Order: sequence, then structure tokens, then C-alpha cells
Amino acid sequence: MLEIRNLHATVEGREILNGIDLIVRPGEVHAIMGPNGSGKSTLANVIAGREGYIVTEGEITFDGKNLLEMAPETRACEGLFLAFQYPVEIPGVANLYFLKAAVNAVRKYRGEPSVDAMDFWELIHQRMDLVKMDESMLKRSVNEGFSGGEKKRNEVFQMAVLQPRFAVMDETDSGLDIDALKVVADGVNALRSPERGFLVITHYQRLLDYIVPDQVHVLFNGRIVRSGGKELALELEEQGYALYNEEPGRARRAAA
Amino acid sequence: MTAAAAALPDRYRPDFAGFAADRREPDAIARLRRKAFTRFETLGLPTRQQEDWRLTDLSGLQQWNLQPPTIVPVDAGALPTLDLPAHRLAFVNGRYAPGLSQLREMPDQALIASIGQALLTHPELIVPYLDRLPGLEQHPFAALNTAFWEDGALVYLPPGTVVETPIHLIFHATGSDMAVYPRLLLALDEGAQATVIVEYQGAGRYLNAPVTEARLGDDAVLHYHKIQQESPAAFHFGGIRLQQGRNSEAYVHLLSFGGLVARTDLEALLDGEGANCTLNGLTLARDQQFSDVHVRVDHAQPHGSSQQVFKSVLDGKARTVFDGMIHVRPHAQKTDARQVSRNLLLSRQAQANSNPRLEILADDVKCGHGSTTGFLNPDAEFYLRARGISASRARAMLVHAFANDSLNQIRLTPLRERLAHLLAAGLALDFMETE
Ligand SMILES: Nc1ncnc2c1ncn2[C@@H]1O[C@H](COP(=O)(O)OP(=O)(O)OP(=O)(O)O)[C@@H](O)[C@H]1O
Ligand SMILES: [Mg+2]
Repeated sequence: MLEIRNLHATVEGREILNGIDLIVRPGEVHAIMGPNGSGKSTLANVIAGREGYIVTEGEITFDGKNLLEMAPETRACEGLFLAFQYPVEIPGVANLYFLKAAVNAVRKYRGEPSVDAMDFWELIHQRMDLVKMDESMLKRSVNEGFSGGEKKRNEVFQMAVLQPRFAVMDETDSGLDIDALKVVADGVNALRSPERGFLVITHYQRLLDYIVPDQVHVLFNGRIVRSGGKELALELEEQGYALYNEEPGRARRAAA
Repeated sequence: MTAAAAALPDRYRPDFAGFAADRREPDAIARLRRKAFTRFETLGLPTRQQEDWRLTDLSGLQQWNLQPPTIVPVDAGALPTLDLPAHRLAFVNGRYAPGLSQLREMPDQALIASIGQALLTHPELIVPYLDRLPGLEQHPFAALNTAFWEDGALVYLPPGTVVETPIHLIFHATGSDMAVYPRLLLALDEGAQATVIVEYQGAGRYLNAPVTEARLGDDAVLHYHKIQQESPAAFHFGGIRLQQGRNSEAYVHLLSFGGLVARTDLEALLDGEGANCTLNGLTLARDQQFSDVHVRVDHAQPHGSSQQVFKSVLDGKARTVFDGMIHVRPHAQKTDARQVSRNLLLSRQAQANSNPRLEILADDVKCGHGSTTGFLNPDAEFYLRARGISASRARAMLVHAFANDSLNQIRLTPLRERLAHLLAAGLALDFMETE
């Protein structure tokens, strides 16, 4: 469903992604691991369509459609979701109002009428229970004054409400306590279905105990240097990325 | 004085003689007009050499050949409504339009009327009070108003009178190269309460220079809304003088959306102990608009408080000015005075000027001011768009978030909603109902 071919991207004139190839099929969960600064968030932002991230070569298609031609909101309406590594605080915009605007934007895109108030209320409460979020968060401004963990939880909550077909989760597990980690995993697992795909960016093997991936990729210096099954995450946990710091030949040998 | 500055008074001299000759009104008023016109001749039109008018560009106005207003029929549909029962007085080109007005029953001895008519029936409520409040002495357009005003509104509430029904005053101007000078006299005696909404709007190229004088007795409460929505070619120079007695409360909302060049000068004198003055300003300026607020809050007595929050949203090549002075006299101990100015720039070419000033002559006071100017947060915009919200709606939501607490101060719900729509429409933003 998501196909990335030979993707090169620059940020402020610097090449960050140097030829990424990645295919996620419906129903699959792929994990991306890699050291700080290797380009994981850059990849996520390119997929979501953030300004300033310039694709210089390659393509991304989503269900066969050229994703790179679409505005960020169109991608979201097509069913793409990015859980931000650093969710933004938006003072003055209430969470509930924001969610309703988002739900209705997607419905409008699909040619559906605005959501019925009662249905929306039920959906919200059901999803709030799923991520164990407090009702008071709905009235507060988007992420304003939320703790790190609350912000991440709010990302999962939004995902649960919007029910995207493909979600990119950028370190949604970072900074979470064990209980919150389970909540995030439950949020993802509840959405897992044969039609949906996930790209889970993480630094910790631990998350992958809860969200079991079909494939794990190592992103290093803007390239996927290795791909494997879920056991690759365990190996990385033990050995770190030092191996990949050498010339690429060794990394390939290690992969073989 | 520059040649340009002298030009307008010369053009007005014959007008004033003719204007004054025709009028049948008390001598005291005629004297007031002559005095004001003489003052205007001395002041001349403002020039950019004057500190107070440094940023105001009047060159456009000086090209005009100003004419006295004419009488034109206006369709009721062209005027705003409050969508609430209201005492409604409408004025077209500065003259009372009874057909577009609706007067309701008033408490005993209270009066809401055309000031032109009331001058004949109740001169005792006008003559002793007109042009008596301090402030705006150096304001040439206020002087022109006192010389040339033809009509406007009088609101008089005797002691203890509480008028729940809002008082809606609409000033519509239409024509070209025309000047109108509406006059408002509000007198709330001891303990009286009123909510007043003044709307300025119109079509064509005109100058509107209204003056409002509001006198609040002890314990009086006034909610005053000025909604400036003049035509895109209009010049608007409004003056407001406010005098507050002991423990009186004034809530003044200044909403400025229209006009090519618009400016409001407000002088508030807190002349009784414990008076409170709350000023809530929201300006929208876009394209080539210039919009200016000059405020002076004068704390003359102890235990007074004032809160000013002025916000501007700017787009295109618009420019705004906020010039705010808090003056605390030596005697006004325990004064609590706050002032905040915040500007949101939607374009790189827009320019916001804030000039907060304090003059504090008492030693036991709490005073503070602050000013911020910034752009929309691109990260917030992206965050909203990444959830499927269109770029224009995302911007609307963020602008609304900026302006929301100003709009929320307005307690009349239909008015508040109309203003939220106006704000969004003014910025060509996609607007969605809030909860
Ligand atoms: N907006 C930006 N401006 C300048 N440099 C950027 C920007 N975004 C990313 N970069 C640079 O691109 C490189 C990759 O950053 P990226 O955020 O993709 O790393 P990451 O793999 O997500 O790291 P982490 O694990 O720390 O989140 C870094 O060197 C970073 O400084
Ligand atoms: Mg990152």
C-alpha cells in the first residue's frame, strides 16, 4: 500500500535521505530503527508532506497514487496519519473542536456529510477509554501544557478517532512509562487489520514486544542498511549501531 | 505649517460660515461650534511631523474635494441588526433616519434619541454637557466634529436606571468625497447601567469623524462596543472621551475592521475612587489598510484599575499602530493598571507598531505593560493540515485562536458570532462554527 522507491530528500540544502526503498503491504507493520539523526523523522515528514523537506529523486505511492503530489491535508484525507515525535502545542484551539474539524474534513473529502453530534460524542468516548485519556483533556487546548506522555497519548487518541489506513508513528513510545507504553500498543493493535499498514519508528525493542512487526529496518545515514524480522530488533538492542559506522561492506556482510 | 496642512481649513472656511448661518439652535451650541472651528484652524490638519500623527498618512484625504453630506435613501437590508430586541437608532450620512430606527419603551425619564431632535426638546440634557469632558483638545478631527456635527445620539439614564435592552446605534455613510461628523452623548447617572453598540459602516469614499462623550456617574456600568466597518475607501477618525465616577465600571470594546485609514483616539479619565476601566481592542487590517488606536488612561483617584488588551491581525501590506499611555497621577495610590498589545502578522509585508507608555507619578501602584508581535506558527499549521484540515481552515483556526479571547469578552452572543464571521471573511478564511 505504501511504496517508497529510491527516495532522496534534502533539508535546508543538506541531503538527509540518500535512496530509500521500502514497501509496506496492507496488514503489515514495519519498524524502523536507527541512531539519532539518521533521518527517521525526515522520512516521516516527507511521507506526511511537511514544507521544507524537498524530494530530489525517487517517488512515494500510496495505493498506487503519487503521494508527493498531494498537499498534507489531502494525504491525511486519503487515510495517512503521522503521530508526531514532538506534538505541537496550539493554544486557543480546543482538542475537541480540533478533532471534530479533522473528522469532518476527512468526511467532506469522501463526500460524506458532517458527523452527527451524538455519533461523534460516542466515538470520542469509546476511543478515550481505549487510550485511557481523561475527559478534561478534550476541553483543553491542543497539547497545551500536556506532559510528554499525555502528548503521545493524545497522538494515539487522534489516530484512534481518525482511523487512518496507514499510520507512521514517530517515536510514540519515547518518554512513556510502561503503562503508557501498553496503552500506545493497545491503540495500535486495536486498529491493526488486514487493510491497514503501520510504520513504527522506535529506539526501543521493548515496544516491539507489544506491537509485533512483520519487518524491522535499520536506517543509517539516510539509507536502509539492513532489513530483517523482529529478531533484528533484539540484535540491535544488544550490539547497537557501531557496526554500521564502518564502511558499508561490513554492514552488508553482517546482514548476510 | 506646511501648505498641505493649510489646504483643508481654507476649504472649510466658507462651509463653516454657511453651515453656521443656517442653523437654529441654542446660542451656547453656536458658540461652541465657532470656538471649535477656530481651534481647528489653529491646529490645522495633522502632519507627519507631529509626533502623535507620525505614522498616519493623510495624503490620500488631501486630494479629495470634501462636500457636505447629501440625503440618500438607504435600504433597511443594508444595515446590520443585533438579532436581539434592541433600542435602535440609525443615521444615514450623519442624519437621523427614523424609518430605519426602532425606539422601544424606556424607563421613566430616561431618554434615547436623536441628539439633533433632543436639542429642541431637552436642551437641558445637552447644552451643559456637550464638549465638556477633558481630552482630545489637540485632535483636529474632534474639533471639526464639534464645529460641524449635525446629528447623532443622546443616551441619558437618570440615577439607578438599568436598561437591559441593548442600545444599537448605526451610522451608515454613502457618497463620495463627503465628510460626516456624528456626535454621541452618553450620560449614565449614579448607578445607571447600559449596553451600547455603535456601528460605523458605509459605501464609497468618505470621511467619518465621530466623537463620543460618555459620562459615568458613581457606580454606573457601561458596556460600550465600537464596531468600525467603514467602506474600503473611507477615512475614519473617531474620538472617544470617557469620564468615570467613583466605583463605576466601563467595558469598552473597540473592534476595527474597515476603512482605508482608520484611527480611534480614546481618553479615559478615572475621576472617582475605585473606578474600573476595561479596554478590549481587536483590529483586523489587510491589503493597504492602515489602522491605529491611540489610548490614554488617566488614573486621577486612588484604588482605580484598568486593563487594556489590544490585538491586531494583519495581512497584505497593512499597517497598524497601537499607542497606549497609562498615566497615574500623584494622588492615585493603589492604582492597578495593565496593558498588553499583541500583533499577529499573516504576511511578511504587514507592519505592526506598538508603543506602550507609562507615566507613573504615584509610588504605591501596580502597573505593567507588554507587547508581542509574531507570525502564525508554521508547525501548528502543519499539525492541523496533517490531520486533514485544509490550509485555509487551519489558518482560520489559528487566527481565531489568537482573537478568541477578545471576541469572548463580548457577551451578546449573536454579535460575537457575527464578528467572528466578519473576522474570518475579512481574511478570506474558511470558518467553521465553534462548539
Ligand atoms: N528542519 C530541519 N532543519 C535543519 N536540519 C534538519 C531539519 N530536520 C532534520 N534535520 C537534520 O536532518 C538530520 C536527520 O534528522 P531526523 O530528525 O530525521 O533524525 P532522526 O533519525 O529522527 O533522529 P532522532 O532519533 O534523534 O529523532 C539531522 O542531522 C537533523 O539535524
Ligand atoms: Mg526523529
